[in-house]
Amino acid sequence: MTTITLAVSEFGLYAPVGILLLMAIGFGVANVALSTVLGPSRHGKVKGMVYESGMNPIGSAKRRFNVRFYIVAMTFLVFDVEIVFLYPWASVFPSLAEGSPYGVLFLSRMLFFVLTSIIAFAYAWRKGVFRYD
Amino acid sequence: MNMAEKIAGVWPEIALLLGAALCLLVGLARSVAIRRFTGWIAAASLLVAGWIVAAQVCNAGGVIGLTPYIKLAVVAVGLILLMVAAAVPVQLKMTRDIEAGREPFEPGLVIRGEFFAFFLFSLTGVMLTADASDLVWLFLALELTSLPTYVMVATSRDRVEAQESGVKYFFLGAMAAAVFLYGFALIYGATGQTSFSLIVDAANQQIAAQGRISPLLTTGIVLSLLGVAFKIAAVPMHFYAADVYQGATTAVTAFLAFVPKTAGFVALIALLGLLPDGYVPPAITWLLWIMAALTMTVGNVLGLMQSNVKRVLAYSSIAHSGYMLVGLLALHGSGDALGNGTAAILFYLVAYGLATIGAFAVLGSLQARGEEAETFDDISGLVRTHPVLAGVMLLSVLSLLGLPPMIGFLGKIYLFGSAIQHGFVGLVVIAVLNSAVSAVYYLRIASACFFGDSEGHTVSTPGISRPLAAGIAAVAALILGFAGGRLVSTARDAGGFPTGRNDVVTTPSQPPAATTASR
Repeated sequence: MTTITLAVSEFGLYAPVGILLLMAIGFGVANVALSTVLGPSRHGKVKGMVYESGMNPIGSAKRRFNVRFYIVAMTFLVFDVEIVFLYPWASVFPSLAEGSPYGVLFLSRMLFFVLTSIIAFAYAWRKGVFRYD
Repeated sequence: MNMAEKIAGVWPEIALLLGAALCLLVGLARSVAIRRFTGWIAAASLLVAGWIVAAQVCNAGGVIGLTPYIKLAVVAVGLILLMVAAAVPVQLKMTRDIEAGREPFEPGLVIRGEFFAFFLFSLTGVMLTADASDLVWLFLALELTSLPTYVMVATSRDRVEAQESGVKYFFLGAMAAAVFLYGFALIYGATGQTSFSLIVDAANQQIAAQGRISPLLTTGIVLSLLGVAFKIAAVPMHFYAADVYQGATTAVTAFLAFVPKTAGFVALIALLGLLPDGYVPPAITWLLWIMAALTMTVGNVLGLMQSNVKRVLAYSSIAHSGYMLVGLLALHGSGDALGNGTAAILFYLVAYGLATIGAFAVLGSLQARGEEAETFDDISGLVRTHPVLAGVMLLSVLSLLGLPPMIGFLGKIYLFGSAIQHGFVGLVVIAVLNSAVSAVYYLRIASACFFGDSEGHTVSTPGISRPLAAGIAAVAALILGFAGGRLVSTARDAGGFPTGRNDVVTTPSQPPAATTASR
């Protein structure tokens, strides 16, 4: 059976997803439309503020950020991605048989992977990525 | 072949990787004397990697397959490139001032570690490309080759042009990566496999069932070829070459001319190896034919119009990619070097690398008015001030041109000979005409060096390593041109084993049927 006929014949399986999608869209549209039509409408300066009952906003939201935030974000990404790779490894590692010859191999390979990140971290630290002065 | 055996093959890469990590850390040391070790660490890790490859070859019974051939070539040419590039960090004002004690030490402003680390990372990528037996592996290896070069282009020179060319190179490179990644996705979609040998099996089944491979697989391979064409600067992905080669510092330009190109051709050989033996769809044959003809012609014709030697050499690099694409058409050949396009390309990569690195190293050894020498005026009358460098330049351009005593001549004989044996006579005629056209600008460089008037503003850069590297490259090109028999036979042996099935070469104990049985 080719992919296309499969997609057509098994389309019913996707019906719940479609119905959920329609319900979500309908709920959102209905709420906005009904409150516009039925609700009272009063405008004002205070009412139009970003946080109606919070702090008074200062300046514009579109301001320039220091470039060092970018480097911090990049460093964060390194460790974020590392965790993503650690997770499947950690879920497979316990299922190795007792005394399996692959145990040491798997562990040392992951340690090597972590070591590369540690070197990257040490490098970034020494380069002054985390220094704010 | 499982992953554990695969790891055994990549010890040379691991050696380079460890060397790169060490460079990063040592480059941050407080003492200048310790920081200066980074270049030596890079050289040592290259030597260790070469020693490991040699040991692996000996263990495999002395047979040099495609993978060890590329790795040995990368180590040998990499050492010459390292000599050319050793002085790059000192060229930067910030690093120089700090090392001379004029400024206080600030780890963020010294690039001694990074430069050599990126150098090694990129070479690691080429070696991994030669190891690839899987699409995912191939993609990662190609990107590992390219990503460090973007940074090397942008940071290795105190000029805004370098940053401009770095940004251009990065964005166009990212686009090319997207193109070949899409091609890989289509190949996977058409066959359901990422492993090269399993893709070949699937393609064989398609041929058995329909008499041809599926259009989806053809499209995937075509897109992959186009994307990888960026790495070798072939038309239509050649636009960046002249600007990037000009903007980068000369040592990095020499690096760009050899390293990504080698990775690109290894990847192209691997991708064409996905086709079943003796079967190339007409679409792919025509694509390669047209690409080869256009690449040669565009490179040579635009090379005629330049006033900057670095741009001339950039267009020459495009033209040489065109010559090597001719060999790609004759890929599935007999074992003979003259009939085997793979062997011819492998040989030509070394021939071209030595000649072009020699020429760039001569440029890098000179400076005019405090800037790197790069125009015809700067090298005019070079023979009166620097006779040895002028001689090296002459040997290099003669080898690029392909005149008989030099290695470039042998390379062209093998490339064009293998194409003729496969019946691409028309293309070879175009290639030979192009070689004749290229004589104009190569001889223009030589005549500027020998017959031009020196204005006396060109002086040599401090340090002996660049002229030495230029000399080694040119002498090697000359000696191998006379006595290249060993290299030719090695390339022939290496070319006898197309990648995708190189697993069989590195582990002769494993029966070739094992991969099919494991499905």
